[in-house]
Amino acid sequence: MKKRTLKLMSMSLAAVMTFAMMAGCGSSSGEAKSDTPAGTQSAADTSAVMSNEEIIKKAAGEGKVSNWGIGNEYEILALLAKYGLPTEYLSEDFTMDAFDDDSSTLASAMTYNELGLVKNDYDGGYGYGDTVGYIDMNDEGVAMLEDNIFCKKSFAAENPETVKAFLYASLKGWEYAVANPEEAAQIVYEAGSSVSQDHQSYMASEVAKLVSTDMNGNTVTEVGKIDDEAMQQTLDIAKQYVTLDDSAAQDAFSKLTLDDIRDTSFYEAAAGSSDGKFNVEKSEVSIQLKWLPQAQFMGYYVADAKGYYDEVGLKVNIVSGGGDISETTAVNNGTVDFGVTWPTNMAVADAGGMDLVEVAQIYQRSGMTLVYKYDNFKAE
Amino acid sequence: MAQKRKRPKSLYRRMQENAKVQAAATIILPVLLGIIILVLWQTQVLHHWFKTDTFTLPLLGRIKTIFMENIGKIWENVVATMIVALVGLAIGSLLGYGVAILAALFPRAGRGGLSVIGAFASIPVVALAPVMNNWTKDVSNDASTRSMVAKILVVMLIAAANMSLNAYRGLTELKPYAKDLMATYAAKKRTTLLKLQLPNSVPYIFVALKVSVPASIMTAIVSEYFAEYIIGVGRQIRENIVLAQYPTAWAYIATACLLGIVSYVVLMIVQSILLRRYH
Amino acid sequence: MKRINKIFDKKWASTVLWILLLVAAWEIGAFVVSITKRSPENILPHLYQIIAAAFSTNKVSSGMTATMVVLTSARATILRALLGFALGTAAGFLLALLMKLSGICEKMLFPYLMLIQLIPVLGLAPIILSITGDINKSRIIIAAILSFYPVATNTLAGFKSVDKDKYDLMYTYAAKKHTIYTKVLIPSAIPYFFTGTKIAAPMAITASILVDTLQGDGGLGCMLSQSLKHAMSIYVFWLIVFFSAFVGIFSSYLMNWIEALVSPEKRGMRKAKKMKGGN
Repeated sequence: MKKRTLKLMSMSLAAVMTFAMMAGCGSSSGEAKSDTPAGTQSAADTSAVMSNEEIIKKAAGEGKVSNWGIGNEYEILALLAKYGLPTEYLSEDFTMDAFDDDSSTLASAMTYNELGLVKNDYDGGYGYGDTVGYIDMNDEGVAMLEDNIFCKKSFAAENPETVKAFLYASLKGWEYAVANPEEAAQIVYEAGSSVSQDHQSYMASEVAKLVSTDMNGNTVTEVGKIDDEAMQQTLDIAKQYVTLDDSAAQDAFSKLTLDDIRDTSFYEAAAGSSDGKFNVEKSEVSIQLKWLPQAQFMGYYVADAKGYYDEVGLKVNIVSGGGDISETTAVNNGTVDFGVTWPTNMAVADAGGMDLVEVAQIYQRSGMTLVYKYDNFKAE
Repeated sequence: MAQKRKRPKSLYRRMQENAKVQAAATIILPVLLGIIILVLWQTQVLHHWFKTDTFTLPLLGRIKTIFMENIGKIWENVVATMIVALVGLAIGSLLGYGVAILAALFPRAGRGGLSVIGAFASIPVVALAPVMNNWTKDVSNDASTRSMVAKILVVMLIAAANMSLNAYRGLTELKPYAKDLMATYAAKKRTTLLKLQLPNSVPYIFVALKVSVPASIMTAIVSEYFAEYIIGVGRQIRENIVLAQYPTAWAYIATACLLGIVSYVVLMIVQSILLRRYH
Repeated sequence: MKRINKIFDKKWASTVLWILLLVAAWEIGAFVVSITKRSPENILPHLYQIIAAAFSTNKVSSGMTATMVVLTSARATILRALLGFALGTAAGFLLALLMKLSGICEKMLFPYLMLIQLIPVLGLAPIILSITGDINKSRIIIAAILSFYPVATNTLAGFKSVDKDKYDLMYTYAAKKHTIYTKVLIPSAIPYFFTGTKIAAPMAITASILVDTLQGDGGLGCMLSQSLKHAMSIYVFWLIVFFSAFVGIFSSYLMNWIEALVSPEKRGMRKAKKMKGGN
């Protein structure tokens, strides 16, 4: 009897040790970061921090620049190339945990999302407050345009009035949202958001900045207008850094011009209309977002909640995205009529054989930043 | 006399009884079906049935071109995926078998442990993968190493759970007369284990492997989606589908299928060699 | 000592022991993490913290508490898993029957069964979407595809496991093929069929969680990735991990229970056990 009990005990001990080891994997070398950045360094001393160039070079030298990839990496590649650094980056896993534990010291963060999580201390946030700084792609001249509105070329040709009406109402929604971000955040939150209320409010205020300021920091008066200069910069950077395994698609991509990927006529008609009266060909349309419901897309939720879509005779179904069936695929195969994506992704899809066109550009400047802890980049 | 009056065997019947014909059929028939599918694919009959287009389901020639153009890159990803799948499978299966032996030796404590391990098999990979990522952060400073360890751990858990459940059945579901025989020999626990239980479990190992091999490859592929370091066949499929590069994605899908075929064939060969010794 | 041993004669007792050991291991890990890491809740929170999050009344998102978020999104996922599982099981059983009826079919289809398993969900998704034209139908079909393989292989193994004596007996009765199937083959394949469903049920749930992320309209998969990205309390992530593990394990037990309910021999065995216990 004793023997058996002994065996039993030793077995359980072995099991505990195995699991402790597994759990311990996550903690064995924790002494590297003893001080809590948020607590000890109360006031940020920005003067003692390296310049952007030094920061980028140091982080790149250590291989600690990170991005999510999957079409989000081109600005970072362009930035690295700008400073003559090898265009390599670490994969970021859609959390800021790697930044938190210093496996990445210069991490990609969208102003309206990850940057807020890093700085703020609400539920889900990391609470770094003023102890972190960030490098803005707009300032570095490598900014690319982001959230737009696009549809299939054939859809636009067959339903021009529907496209105009949809733009008219959506832009009206965006204008209202930019003017009243708090209210817009509340509307999105009630419409079934996927983020906490605190983060939603933060996001709304940051998104409003991206919609109403351009890459050079000037105020935008015409929400949704396609700025050819910014568009060209986006396409140029994309052509330089997009690498496709499919040589035919790569070839097609290098030949794309602005005229292949955007059509300004719908925006102009929508912006020029005083009353938004259009003879819509299709009264029930859908738009697929680039991500789950959140203030990033507040304009559409506001337009829906305020009845702007009803006014132009449209019933709009807002489909959330963020899945592996990307918005380009969904629009191209006709599952939805409109989509929100980044111009680069749309252009790449076109080069691959899709038939998509941008009809409005909602974000006028890039929301991409590289965030870093001041502690990691103190000037000598 | 009775023998003579029996009807001559039909050709089908004779073929069914001929081992060589059967062995050949095992190979020829699937290949034949494969060829039919490929012909239907290339002639776009498949596209018509599935109401899809050559953009979503590209023609074979196009996939082949991309495959040939990127053979080096594809190989890199294949190696990354297979290391994860095979190492995970090997460690996991050994671990699972060990647990099954312990459980068979100490049924009192063991059965409970087995049900707990069986529970691990039921945890969705999608939930395991991100957790493992977090737990392996300090394994190495090199992102490719630590994300590989994370992926292997996930595959390992799945393979171990699968193996332990099946091996335990193999070790305990003995033919009653065999057990009685051992009892009449007054065989020791160890002898029973070595001479009866272990050999009895071999077919069950293959039952487990038949599920584990595809499951490990699939688990490796799924855990690549969440991995920190961008590499692997699964990850490439996702990246290309999200970027709407279907032909490239299909080149990787074809690669994944090829991996499946190869590992299945290898498993079958190993099984036929090993099991022949037993029967 | 004897008393302790007697306790462990019961399976649940040793299961409880193992669960306790796991909890202990988890807590030790959580303790180590909590003193070495800046944000321990992202890596390994204490179990009581997770439980506290489950009962907390804090509104996490859209005016719902963490538990509400998990349960609402679970409804969609589990419903899809159920439908997919039912479809997959039926298809798996029929396919096994077909393969038993025709050796040619078996040889032709069996390798492809595994292949379909290996085509990553993502590769299938756009094509199935273009066939069905509806994202939810696609999700159910994918869950079905992923769960039918274990059922098909195990059931087929069950058909094959029938002893030759039984066939011979049926031949001496001059039984018709139909009778052989209903009286011998199918009943003896039932335990194997349930082994298959026990593997398939958690797989259907895994698949269902995985295909949630095809489009971000709710479901456990979406909430899992969303909370993992810190869009809301990280505890939602842990709750989903535990919840999905629980549902996976529960589904397996549910199959056990159904098996006991439908298979007459098990019922007989239980009765016998009960009588023994009564004496």
